[in-house]
Amino acid sequence: MKKIKLPTGRSAWNWIWKITGTVIVLVIVACSISINNVSQPSTIAGGSTLTSTITAGINQVNATQTSALVVGILVPTQWNAANNTTMSYTSSATSGTQVMNLIPTGTVAPTGGGVSWQTDMLNTIGTAGNLINEYEWIAFESPTPYTVNNGDNITVTITVNIKVSQTNMLFNMAYVVCESSDGLNSTAYSLSPSTYYGTFFPPSLRVTGPGTLLDFIDPQLSVITPGFATDNDIITLPFNSTAVQNPLTNASQVFLCATGYTTTGDSIKVCQQTSANQLQSLGGGNFQTSIWPRGFFGLSAAQSLDSIEYVFTDATGATIVGFNGTTTPFSYTFGCQ
Amino acid sequence: MRRLIKTNYALLLGCMLFACKIEHLNPPNEPMKNIAGTWGIINATRNGTNLTSSFDFSHFRIVFTDSTYTIDSLVPFIVTHNGKWAFDNPQYPFDLIFTQTDSASLETPFQFPVANGVRNIILTFSPGCPSNSYVYTLQQVN
Repeated sequence: MKKIKLPTGRSAWNWIWKITGTVIVLVIVACSISINNVSQPSTIAGGSTLTSTITAGINQVNATQTSALVVGILVPTQWNAANNTTMSYTSSATSGTQVMNLIPTGTVAPTGGGVSWQTDMLNTIGTAGNLINEYEWIAFESPTPYTVNNGDNITVTITVNIKVSQTNMLFNMAYVVCESSDGLNSTAYSLSPSTYYGTFFPPSLRVTGPGTLLDFIDPQLSVITPGFATDNDIITLPFNSTAVQNPLTNASQVFLCATGYTTTGDSIKVCQQTSANQLQSLGGGNFQTSIWPRGFFGLSAAQSLDSIEYVFTDATGATIVGFNGTTTPFSYTFGCQ
Repeated sequence: MRRLIKTNYALLLGCMLFACKIEHLNPPNEPMKNIAGTWGIINATRNGTNLTSSFDFSHFRIVFTDSTYTIDSLVPFIVTHNGKWAFDNPQYPFDLIFTQTDSASLETPFQFPVANGVRNIILTFSPGCPSNSYVYTLQQVN
């Protein structure tokens, strides 16, 4: 039998450093997830189905782990995407097409400090530059957990179909892929949380449809939310004083001056520079107020509004700002999807 | 001797059998939910966006008695007139049913959690477009 001679002295130390270094490299190289590409059209007709394909990789796995695949998408709330989306995937680690399931709203995300998957995605991945607060993250997961083994490099192709609303809009979508154990905030192996998820921000999506363009991306003086409402909703009227050069760009106080048009053709004007009509300052030249049109215009039970027109004024009422910085009023028509 | 052992076994078996008795467990009785009192809105969201700081909800009041309610409807709400209320199940309510005078009943999901030691009523409804969902959190006021 051949006798193995163990190194001693300086030689032993060399071997110890080599082995230790190898172990450290193995530990540092953890499972990383990335989205390589998202293929989706730049324009789509309102009411049709948007199909996008996500190509993702789960690479350099350093430990055996069993988790579900989780995919999140940032969408306009008007799409009601949680109820209008189907998602499936194929991967090099599974066989056949796997239909993914919607993660119900409120399901707590791992490593998210107790918040839901949807909120965690909003807090961590963000809003993709959309300026109107009418967006949401929806999340899907694979039907069963899958096992990844040490050394695996897995490719995943996810197909997403979303039936979009009729609304004429410009919106920035966003995608995130992660897994159900590490979520979006894991610092396992002392690695950055972003190691454990992949993101992709495709170019803006234009949905063509009737009516005024709902532009989520370009700063505008005022866009009422929600995009669809009746006079019995609460609507929020913002004023971004710096979006376009206008006489109220440096104003410290901004007031709402609005006219409601009833379905019978009457008009009701509310235009006093009082605290009830003053917009709340949000800082940075942004102001907003929320009104209940039925109460704001003092409608009787028999009256209902068809539309409103509105401008913003200073404290004297003499300086008026409307659409695109002119004195032409902004307009909003009531109606539901 | 053998007969004595058999007798002992029979006695032991008898003791074991008669030692068993059916135990009747009475589960704790779930109390009826009492919402009588005057309630105001402490938090409101629309489609997940908090409206509490940008809209004045402070004047809204709804007063529940044993079976009726009165309302100051200064904000969008499930109902606009006074009437009667009921739970879908008084012990385990999932829905609160409002019946305005001379009107059909309107049902809304009902939650009754305790937060920071204070009982809340959480109501979810859509007074305008069905796509706009409001969640009001109510607390009792003096």
